[in-house]
Amino acid sequence: MREFETPYLTYDVLDKWDSPSWNEQTRGVLRKRLEEVPPRRFLTKEQWGLLDAIVARLISQPDRDEPVPIVPWIDDMLHHNHAPGYRYADMPPMREAWRRGLDAIAAEARNRHGKEFHELAPEDQDALLTDVQHNRVESRYWDDLPAGGFFLHHLLKQTVGIYYSHPDAWSEIGFGGPASPRGYARLGFDERDPWEAEELHFEAAGDA
Amino acid sequence: MLAPRQPEPSHRPLIAVAAATLAGATAVGWLLQRAWKPKGDRNHRAAQALGAGAAILCVSVALDSAIEHYRGQFKDRAMFVGPTMALLGIGAAAYIALRPERANDRLPKIALLTVGVTGMIGLGFHTYNILKRPGELDALNLFYGAPMGAPAALTLAGLYGVIAGEMLSGREYVRTRLPKHTAALIAFSLAGTVAEAGWLHFRGAFQDPAMYAPVTVPPLAAIAIGAAALSPRAAMVAEPLLKATAILGIAGPMFHAYGIHRNMGGWKNWSQMILQGPPLPAPPAFLGIAAAGLGILPLLQEPRK
Repeated sequence: MREFETPYLTYDVLDKWDSPSWNEQTRGVLRKRLEEVPPRRFLTKEQWGLLDAIVARLISQPDRDEPVPIVPWIDDMLHHNHAPGYRYADMPPMREAWRRGLDAIAAEARNRHGKEFHELAPEDQDALLTDVQHNRVESRYWDDLPAGGFFLHHLLKQTVGIYYSHPDAWSEIGFGGPASPRGYARLGFDERDPWEAEELHFEAAGDA
Repeated sequence: MLAPRQPEPSHRPLIAVAAATLAGATAVGWLLQRAWKPKGDRNHRAAQALGAGAAILCVSVALDSAIEHYRGQFKDRAMFVGPTMALLGIGAAAYIALRPERANDRLPKIALLTVGVTGMIGLGFHTYNILKRPGELDALNLFYGAPMGAPAALTLAGLYGVIAGEMLSGREYVRTRLPKHTAALIAFSLAGTVAEAGWLHFRGAFQDPAMYAPVTVPPLAAIAIGAAALSPRAAMVAEPLLKATAILGIAGPMFHAYGIHRNMGGWKNWSQMILQGPPLPAPPAFLGIAAAGLGILPLLQEPRK
C-alpha cells in the first residue's frame, strides 16, 4: 500500500485561528476538541486497550508524534449514549452493540492465537479484522450480532468520522474546517480563495 | 386545522435603516445638485451632464469589474481589459464634465469610442462565458456566470461621451433629432440597468423590501424620459423621477453596505462579503444614467427656434 502523502505541504488549518475565517463559537468548539480529550468512563480497561489496537490498524498514524485521539471520543459517545438517532434493524442498541462486538473480537483473538488482540503481529490483526469484516467468525462469540455490520457501521465509520473531525486531519487533506463565519467566494473549478489550502505538489496516484 | 407556517418576521430595523438611508442619499443628492455649476449654453450644459453621467458609469464599472475580475482571479488575460478601459473612460468623461467646451475634441472622442466598442466586445465575451457553461442559457448561469449587462454600461458611457461631443458640433441634427434619440437611449439604459438589478435582486429573493426600490422608481423614470422624447410635456414628469432614480443610485451603496453587515460575519468578514455580498459599486450606475437624463431634459422641454 502506498503511503499517503499530503499535497498541502505548508498548510495548517489552525493558522486560521485568529483570522476572520473563525469566530469565538468556532474557536470554542475546536478548543474543546483539542484540549478537553475525555477520560475513560464507559469502556473497561481491556475494551479500551483492544479498541486502541484496532483503531491503530484502521487508521495507522505512524507519522504523527501525537496521534489524533479516537478511542477517548468513542468512549465519550458511548458514555453519553449519543446514538445517531436510529438503530440498525439487525443490531442491538448502540452501547450493547459496542460492548458485545469488542468482547467478541477479543474472544476471536484468544481463540485463534491464544493471545490478546493487542499482542498479535500487525498482519495477524489485519487478517482477523478482515475476517470480522466478512463475517468469517465463530458465531458462538457473536450470537446474533452481525460481525460485518458491527465492523462497518460502528467500528469503521466512527473511527474515520472522529479522525476527520480533528484539525490535524483537516490540514492533511486541505480542508478548511468550519466556514464560520467566513465561507468561500470562489466556488468554480480550479478556483481558490486566498484563505484556502494550496496544493503544492500533486502527482496522480500510480505514477512513480 | 393548522395554519400554514409563516416565516418568522425579521427583527432587523429594516424600515428605520431604509428611511435613514434614503434621507442620507437625498441629502447627498441635494448637495451634489447645489455643487453642480453648469457652464455655457444649453448644449454645453447637456454635454457636461452627459460627460458627468458617463464618468459616474465608468467609476461604477471600474470598481465593480475590478472586484469581480479579481474574484475571477484574472483567469483570462482579457479580464484586465474591462477595468482598464473603465479607467480610460473615467479620464475622458471627467475631462468632458470639467471642460464641456472641449467635449468635441478629438482625443476624448477617440477614447470614449474605444471604451464603447470595448464594452460591445466585453458583452460578447460575457455571453460566450455564459453559453460555454453546462446548461448554457439557463437561469443558474445567468445568475452566477459573467453578468451580461455589466460591459454594456461601458458602451453606454462611451455613447454618452460621444453624444456630448456631438452636442457642440453645430450640426443640424443637434437641434432636431439628437436630443430625442439621446432620451430614448437613456430610457433604454435605465431599462437595461433595471433588468440587471431586478434579476440579481430576484436572485436575492427580495429579502429586504428595499430591494424593490430599483425595480419600481427607475422603470417609471425610463417610461417618462422615453415619453419626453415624443412629447415635451412628459419632461415635467421625467425630472422628479430621474432625480429619484439618482437618489436611489446614491442610496444603493449604503443599502448594500447594510446588506454586507447583515451577512454572516458582517463587515468583519469583508474579505468574503465584498466579493459575495451585494456589490457596493454597482448601484451608482443609476446615478450616472439619471445625471445624463437630467442634462438632456432641457433640450427636450424648451421649444426650438
